[in-house]
Amino acid sequence: MRAVELHHGAATDVGHVRTVNEDAFLVAPPVFVVADGMGGHAGGDVASATAVQELGRLADAGFDSHSGAQAVVAALVRCQARLREYAAMQPGDAQHAGTTAVVALLVSDPEGPRWLLANVGDSRVYRLGPHGLDQLSVDHSVVQELLDTGRITEQEAAGHPERHVITRALSALEAPEPDFFLVPLPAAERLLLCSDGVSGMVPDATIEHLLRESPDPRDAAERLVQAALAAGGRDNATAVVVDVVGLVKDDAYDSARQRLSLVTKLGALP
Amino acid sequence: MTDLASRAVQDGSWFGIFGREVVVLVPARERPRVAELWAAVDDGARFEEVLDLLVSGGLRAVHDFVLVAAAGSAARVLVRGAASVSVHSHLRPAEVRAGDRVWAEESFNEVFSMVATLPDSGATGAEVDAPAGLRRVGSVSWGTNPVAAPVPEPAFAPVTQPVIEPVPEPVPVSEPVSEPAQTPVPVPAPIPSGPMTAPLVAGLEPLPADAEPPTWGQPEAAAFSADAETGEQPPVDHDGMTQSSAAHLSPPPLPGIPGQPQPPAVTSHPVARLVFSHGSTVAVDRVILIGRAPEARRFAPSDQPQLVTVPSPHQEISSTHLEVRPGSGVDHAMAVATDLGSTNGTMLMQPGLPPEDLKPGIAVQLIPGAIIDLGDGVTIQVTRP
Repeated sequence: MRAVELHHGAATDVGHVRTVNEDAFLVAPPVFVVADGMGGHAGGDVASATAVQELGRLADAGFDSHSGAQAVVAALVRCQARLREYAAMQPGDAQHAGTTAVVALLVSDPEGPRWLLANVGDSRVYRLGPHGLDQLSVDHSVVQELLDTGRITEQEAAGHPERHVITRALSALEAPEPDFFLVPLPAAERLLLCSDGVSGMVPDATIEHLLRESPDPRDAAERLVQAALAAGGRDNATAVVVDVVGLVKDDAYDSARQRLSLVTKLGALP
Repeated sequence: MTDLASRAVQDGSWFGIFGREVVVLVPARERPRVAELWAAVDDGARFEEVLDLLVSGGLRAVHDFVLVAAAGSAARVLVRGAASVSVHSHLRPAEVRAGDRVWAEESFNEVFSMVATLPDSGATGAEVDAPAGLRRVGSVSWGTNPVAAPVPEPAFAPVTQPVIEPVPEPVPVSEPVSEPAQTPVPVPAPIPSGPMTAPLVAGLEPLPADAEPPTWGQPEAAAFSADAETGEQPPVDHDGMTQSSAAHLSPPPLPGIPGQPQPPAVTSHPVARLVFSHGSTVAVDRVILIGRAPEARRFAPSDQPQLVTVPSPHQEISSTHLEVRPGSGVDHAMAVATDLGSTNGTMLMQPGLPPEDLKPGIAVQLIPGAIIDLGDGVTIQVTRP
């Protein structure tokens, strides 16, 4: 299999309103995670940190798309078990502590490497490809379901009063039910994993612009979080940006020119 | 590149006798004769010698067998009885089938791959390599196996060649139109309107098995509006603004046709087998997504779709082009194919039916013997499992 190199950057900020940053992230190639905890002093930060820890254990083993999906589910189940233990030891409503999780795991299938993506809740994964910005994950949220059933429009969704209410989460009470996505690497040269503190504050067009104009993934992540703060910073904001490089390693000396000339010749890639 | 010496088998009730070049397949009832066949094949008996031995008790004593001699990319195939062998060569795909004749024999050159489909063999399990030896088999394939399929090049790299120097199309797209004239295939009487079923996907987006068709969500919509009122977290302690609706919502609506049985996400037995012109074979026991760089969206770990990457040097094939899955309702126990809004479309040739352009999002039942043309010289032959 061709060697694939992953370049990445990550940034997080508590925002202007909250006092605790309950977001957590993980960059441990080939695993990348963003988790958005909830539950305030009931332990949202514990929940997101637990999710990140358990998913971080996937970093060492190699997976294909089937074993990878099983491993992600197993990690989320371990996370739920730990949250249950935590809730049992805490007074109060710690069992309401929960977290979202969005995971990108590089897996190697017989046909080549792929991204296995998983999400629970409303943290998102986007890809920046030749055709623009594409939201790959589908939120587990009330607003998404209203959108799916055609009851509200995209414009109404942005300002909907229940836009922060999610329908699936990782907590002591809920068995993890992740959705999975499998995408080929050439279609996902740059991935963005982010909490709703970024995607809910920064318009998609701005996200795309910042991702395109920042060649270094560390700058891209930093600028996205800054943009979320500039837009009000009403929530914790976290961004992880991952670049796939090395796919054209065999002829890297002219790959950029080749790509450019192709676009010139064909107008656009089919 | 192609070497028919690599063979893969699934478990089943038939006996497979694998020599270096000669392979004999006989049903379970021929068990008493398997030992002498193996002895002959192991001694390096040629095609004719093995055939002599097979019919030594007279033709009436042996109703079913498959005899194959394959060396390099050349193959000689003889089939008696109900079994069949589909052959992908540089020419159009062919199927060797005896029908009501004594047997069918054909020779082929430049073969990419072959698959023997054995009746009542109870083929199960994954494909494993079959070196020389004697074993129980349910199906056998020769040539490039799926694992050895070439890693697809990055989408942009190979395209420069056609631009500079157009390669003549090896397989004219229109040619297979005359195809169904191949050996007659016993098929369930096709009703012209039968294969059509309601749209399974709502848009052009490639949707995997459990993606939610946006229009059929009424039950769940009712459920969550109730939940949203009663199930919110107390607003006091949530951190950031993310809240969980505490009670769980009803599961998302399943895909399929309202009022009809849900399609099984993963069936216990494959309903068909797809033989690709580039060499791999895939059993249809779950959703299969085929394309130049296929992707699967929104699936649960229990119904993970299988992605099949096909070569498309001219980029005629869309990234996620076609879905094949086990059917439901009237299509139960059959495979159905859906074009996922591909740029250049999909052509379907079914035995006994005029060629048909698949309409995006409309599932069409696949009859064994059908040939699906994706463009760029890639064809898929549909055989019995």
